Formats: sequence, structure tokens, C-alpha cells
Amino acid sequence: MKNEVLELRREGIFCPAGDFYIDPRGKVDRALITHAHSDHGRPGHNSYLCSDTCKSLLKIRIGKDAVVESLPFGEKIKIGNSLVSFHPAGHILGSAQIRVEVNGRVWVVSGDYKPQEDQTCEPFELLKCNGFITECTFGLPVYRWLPEEKIHQQINEWWLENKQDDKPSLLFSYSLGKAQRVLAGLRKEIGSIYVHSAVYPFLEHYEQAGIKLPQVMKIERGKEYDFNGSIIIAPPAVEDSTWTRKFRSARKGFASGWMAIRGARRRRNLDRGFILSDHADWNGLIDVIKGTGAEEIKVTHGNGDALTRYLGEQGMNCSILSGASIRGEEEE
Amino acid sequence: MREFAALFHDLDSLTKTNDRLDRLVQYFKDAPGEDSIWVCWFLSGNRIKGAVKTGELRNFIAARANLPVWLIEECHDRVGDLAETISLLAGSKSKKSNLGLNDTIRKYLLPLRGQDTQERKVLLERTWDHLSADEMLPFHKLLTGGFRMGVSKGNLCKALARVGNVEPAVISQRIAGNWTCDDLTMQEILNPVGENEGRGKPFPFCLASPLQEDPGTLGEVVDWQVEWKWDGIRAQLLTTTAGGGMLWSRGEESIAESFPELLECIPYLPAGTCLDGEILAWGREGLRSFSRLQKRLGRKNPSSTIQKKEPVCFQAYDLLRMNGEDLRSISMLERRAKLEFLMQGLPEHLPLRISPEVNEKTWSDLGKRREESRERGVEGFMLKRKNSKYESGRIKGAWYKWKVDPFLADMVVVSAQLGHGKRANLYSDYSLAVWNESGELVTVAKAYSGLTNEEIEKVDKFVRKNITGKFGPVRSVKPKLVFEIAFEGVQASGRHKSGVALRFPRIHRWRNDKKIEDADHLSTIRGFAGMNEKGKLGDGTKIDSAGNLLLF
Repeated sequence: MKNEVLELRREGIFCPAGDFYIDPRGKVDRALITHAHSDHGRPGHNSYLCSDTCKSLLKIRIGKDAVVESLPFGEKIKIGNSLVSFHPAGHILGSAQIRVEVNGRVWVVSGDYKPQEDQTCEPFELLKCNGFITECTFGLPVYRWLPEEKIHQQINEWWLENKQDDKPSLLFSYSLGKAQRVLAGLRKEIGSIYVHSAVYPFLEHYEQAGIKLPQVMKIERGKEYDFNGSIIIAPPAVEDSTWTRKFRSARKGFASGWMAIRGARRRRNLDRGFILSDHADWNGLIDVIKGTGAEEIKVTHGNGDALTRYLGEQGMNCSILSGASIRGEEEE
Repeated sequence: MREFAALFHDLDSLTKTNDRLDRLVQYFKDAPGEDSIWVCWFLSGNRIKGAVKTGELRNFIAARANLPVWLIEECHDRVGDLAETISLLAGSKSKKSNLGLNDTIRKYLLPLRGQDTQERKVLLERTWDHLSADEMLPFHKLLTGGFRMGVSKGNLCKALARVGNVEPAVISQRIAGNWTCDDLTMQEILNPVGENEGRGKPFPFCLASPLQEDPGTLGEVVDWQVEWKWDGIRAQLLTTTAGGGMLWSRGEESIAESFPELLECIPYLPAGTCLDGEILAWGREGLRSFSRLQKRLGRKNPSSTIQKKEPVCFQAYDLLRMNGEDLRSISMLERRAKLEFLMQGLPEHLPLRISPEVNEKTWSDLGKRREESRERGVEGFMLKRKNSKYESGRIKGAWYKWKVDPFLADMVVVSAQLGHGKRANLYSDYSLAVWNESGELVTVAKAYSGLTNEEIEKVDKFVRKNITGKFGPVRSVKPKLVFEIAFEGVQASGRHKSGVALRFPRIHRWRNDKKIEDADHLSTIRGFAGMNEKGKLGDGTKIDSAGNLLLF
């Protein structure tokens, strides 16, 4: 990809007019970061720019000594010959679409986004643009999300049922974003809420941003707890570790968009899957892409082939942007 | 349909067999009989055929979802199951349907069979408008025929037995064979005093204990009836006093449909007879290996080609009932005499034989004969006390199995899986590998017994720290642990990369003292089966150089 605003380089998406990268790999001078997931905000760059609410979360990822500046959503600044602004992507707290304008031409890099409701982050803003670089994690029509209150209700019912059977509920969800979204929906009168130590550090920043989360207890190494009847939120990475051995009797669930497919749940040997995603579903992708009015669509990562072909058949100028992103552990 | 959908989703998420049984019992207690009978019919392995073609389904759903057909196929590839793909794309509009399972099947499913494509499309559109989100997947599973839910016929019988307070074997008999929901009712299945009570039902099997002490401690050889221990499927072949007959496996499942040639023996047996014996793969040359028999297992109504290619026989070794008289309380000696008399009177062409006695004067002579076991394709000796009754279950002192010593080999743990029950959440099921000619570790067996609890804990810790990959529930692990594995035999297998599979593998001990380089080679394993020389498994090896059958 190379156009009047952005081009793709080895390190990632680059804006020659402003001499900066967006969500780059390797080591660059100026990195604009869409959000604080580890496959977007990587350590090692000389300076960072992100949204205000992203800043403290990003520092947990890349180290507190990193040079990070931030902007409020919607505020335009001039970087070189480009005009840059951050707009809510609705993916996690502080997540942004980055709008870049050069000589009146506008491109928007979506990062990860979700137009669906989420009480733990700023709501998605639809931007008009000439070119749109979209994510495509769930780019098939079988992925369709229910309203989040439905899923919260399912989780609470599951928790209550397990509590009545005197069992702990161990719910896997990614430590930044998903875990807080799950927490925000829990009915604290059901029982105690515990979190894995990987989830805990993010919570205070959510509270500082004014997001109401229930009281939780951090699970510390070497301490004994009575988990029966409680819910435990832990990242899926610990599923196979010795840590999980503490929860032998627990019912296990996973909150993720991937749980829409029965086989994905069964392969993980889980008791329950909750279809709760931080990404756009199929209809969300189509609505947003069409809504931007962009003449040119670039699709990064995920199952982009189907979406690209589908939009192409509808007469849109849409293609895969390969090499723009390498997805990490934190993807969903 | 709502209750059935709830049953379906619960069975899908419950992981323990007992919980699933409880859930099924609850369904049968709550649901109307006209719905329950369908569940019995489907769980008995029946399916509705010819309701719709998969190509039609794809086209209909594409039209409904306003998507191109290629995108439906992309979705199908991702989801891996057509019924689920259709369910996800059909987009339920209804909150709740009020039709029962029986009504849904008769109104929306059965009529499809006689319709043309256009009519089917119209009917399916109506169905999709009508079904709620939870009902979609169960309905499409019934429609496309892939309805299993992980409940075996045996467990279905157990659940029904609990509902009706009737023996599982009686239930099993009542739902055996071909029937439809039009000619059987739940009342008939669950009837506590059915008029055929007791007839056609297998007797509880008498089981043998492993002989752990020296056979000399059993007393005089002449007090024992000695037979080869056959490597087949234990079964009872019986005729009822009303005519007709049944073939039962040890799990009290009717296996008559898998072995029609054995059922053909029924008219030749006196009414009210029950033979206990072993189904064996048996060709012109005599006994064949268990792996040949496996080609007949689980296959209902086998074609005549398969029956010819993989013939079987029933090797009788006990007579439990004759002319309606229960013989279980008379002695083995008397039962044997009656059995021999009965078998002598049967026509030769029937696939029925008697398990021959092995007569030796001393235990040490028998011990020598036992060494022929491997060559004969049997597992050792059965010792049956001549004055013993036919006991129910495993009663010590009546029957013993005096098996040949197992093969042993050192193998490397290459992957692990979480166990079940008490071992849930522990990596206690292991795949084991040996070295092949190109210096790769190739799996030859899975084993999940033989370690102590402490050892399992240790292995579990090792596994969790050394996972190198995920394949569904299986975790591949760094090759490091060496186990000595005991097993009873070797057979060809397409399932393992090594081309062989072991029979009854179990962990003999943990060889902490060995490195993976010390593990055994595939050629050693193949050597146990004589596969190196012949390049295939020991079928038809029971003939000596003069062409005589070695077995008799």
C-alpha cells in the first residue's frame, strides 16, 4: 500500500507527511498507538502518542519510563504536514481510531473496533473518510453478537447456578478490556469476586476513568481462599498452568467472540462459552465500512478474504493489507 | 420443542456421564410420551433420511440471509458442521415456539421427504420463522441426521430403566431392532410387567478373576475344565420360548443387527436356549485376529460382501438355559455335557462351534501348553471349576483367567490429555511413542492406568510446564518421560502413524532411570507380532507347515 496519506513499511503503517508510524513493530522514533493491547502497543519505541485514557494502560504494557504523550478524543494536532486526531473505537477503554489528513485527503486506521454497546469504554464514533483501514477479526456472517446485557445476564445466571451447587466459577477472559467488561456486568450480591494478578493492575485505571467496577479481591500467591460460590476472572493464558489446579472443582467458562462456534468451546473442554467480543461482528463490520463512505478499503488480519470478496462483489474497492499487523495473545 | 432444545443444550454442555444420565431421566419424566419416544428413537441410532439435500439447504439459507452461496460454504468450513452453520445464519425471529417435538417433526420435518425443491424451500422458510434461537441447532441436527449428543444406547437404556423401574436389559430388548414411533409407545417401553418379561433377556454374565497365585494352589488338575482364552467379544446367543432370538453383548446391548449370520442359527436351536460364548473372526483357515473382528463391530446390517470377507463364528462355552429350563445352578461338568450334546446335533454349516477343552495331566504340562497361546492367537487359558455353578458377576474361585505374560516395551510420553472423574483436571491420559527407522518418535498406544496417584501428580506438573502444542483437548509435550508399557498384543492400525496399535496397553512402571534415547524401537514392537518378517499382521498364521490347522 502506498497512497498520498499512508504507506506500508516493514515496521508497519507509516505516514511520510508526519514521519510517524501507527501501531508499529520493531523500534521507531514516533509511534501512534490505537490501544493498549500488546499486539498494538509494543515496547521499545522512542516516543508514543495515544489517547488520554489509553495512556496509563499503555504504560503498564511498555514500562512506566517510556515517553508517552496523549491527546483528548477529537482534538486535532498538526504533525509535520499532516493533521492527526484520535476518535473512540469502542474496543476497550482508551481505544482509538486514528484519523490522518494530508492535503485534504483523509485516511482512518481503525485499530480494533466495535460499534456495539460497551459500558466500560468510550462509544465508537463513525468517521467519514477517503480511505479506511479496517480490522476483520470476525469476518464471517456466522459471527453475530447479542446485546451485552443478555450476555451479562447469562454469566450471572451461570454464576448463581454454580454457587447453588457450591462450586467456584472460573471465567477466562483477556486481562485488559474483556475482564473489565465482564466485571462491570457482574451482580456483586451473588458472591465474592476474585481476579488473577494479571487482571488486577488495570482496574485502578478504569476507576480513574470513571468506570464503575464491583469490589474485587486479588488472588495472591501462597494464600488460601475459599472459592466456593465465588467467581474468578483469569486470563485464558493460565488455563493450562498449575495455577488453574487450585480450581479443580470449578465450572469453567470463557468469554470471547470465538465462543459463537460450538466446536471452539468443545475443543477447549469448557463447561460454558459466553459470546462476548470486543470486536465488531459481521454486521458491525459491514455497517461501519459502508458508513465511512470510503472509496478505498484495506482489510488487516483475521479472515479478510471472505469480507474482501463479499465487498468486492458489492462494487467496493476493497483489498487485503497483508503484513500490517501480527496478532498476539491478547487478540480476543 | 422447547424442552427438547433444553435437553439438547444441557447434554451438550454436561461433561460427566452421570450428570447426563440424570438429565435424560429428568427429560423422560417431564416430557409427554409422544415426544419422548422420538428421543428414544434418535438415541437408538435412527435418523430421518432424505428430508433435504445439503446443497438445497445451502441455497435456501443463502437466499434467506441474502448472502452468496460461496460465503455460506466459507462459513461451513469455519464452523465445521452444516447444521450449526444453518442455525447461526437462519436468524431466529421467534422468541418461543409452542409446538412439541413430535408436532415439530411431523409438521416441519417429515413432510419434506415427499416434496420438491420449491416446496421444501417454502416449508423450511416457515420453519425458520417459527423456531426460537435455542431450537435451531437441535432441529437442524435432526434434519441433517447428525444427532448423537454423546448418549450411548446403553446409557439410554439405563435412563429409561430408572424412569420405569425396569431392568436395563428388558428396556434394551424392547427398543432393539427396527421400529418406528408409530408402532411403539413409551408405555410399552416402560411397562413394568410387560408380557414378555424375562424372555429374550440375557443372564448376568459369569466373569473370571485373574489367576495371581501359582496354579498348583488350585488343587487337582482334574477338578478343572481348561479352555483357551479366546480374544473376541463375549456374548449370549439365545432363543425365546415364543420363538425368535437375541444376541447380547456383555454390556447387555443387543448386537444382533451387527451379526445377522449368527441370528440365522436361531431356528436350529431349541426354544428357550441360552448359549454363553465368544464371537470370533473366523475364516476358512480358522481363527483370525481381533483386528479383523473389529471390522464388524459397531456396523449394523453389514452387507453380504462384508459378511463373506470378514466371517465370524460363535464359539460356545456354556449352556445357561435349554427348553426354557434355567441350568445355571447345575455344575459346569453337567452343563458342559449338555452343551456338547446340543452342539453335536446341529448342522455343520452353521457358524457355531464349541470351545474345545485342553486336557493335560499336570499343571506343569498345562503351563507348557500355555506357551502356544501367542502362536494360536489366544490370550492364555480359562480355568473353570467343574463343580461350580454359573455365577453372576466375578465370584472368586469359580472361573480364572490364566493369561500369558504381557509384552513389555519402554516408550516416550509425547502428548497428554486431561483425565475424567477423579482424574479430571489432571493430565493422566498419555500417548506413547517409540522410535521408527527414520529416528522419529511415532505413537503406538494410549495409556491411562498403572501409575500411582503421586506419580500422576508429578507427571501432571511436568506436562503443564512442557506443553509444546494444542490439538483440541490434547497437549503435545516435550519428549522426556519414559514409561515401561505392558500390552497383550500388536495389530495393524491406520490410526497411529506407526502403523501399529497395541492391545490393552497400560503403564507397568515409570522408568526414571531411562532417557528417551533408551526407548524401544518400532521394529521391536513389530517383532512381537511377527510383523517384520511378513510385513503384515498375524492373520491366518495358525496353520503349520503341513497345512494343518494348529488350533485343533
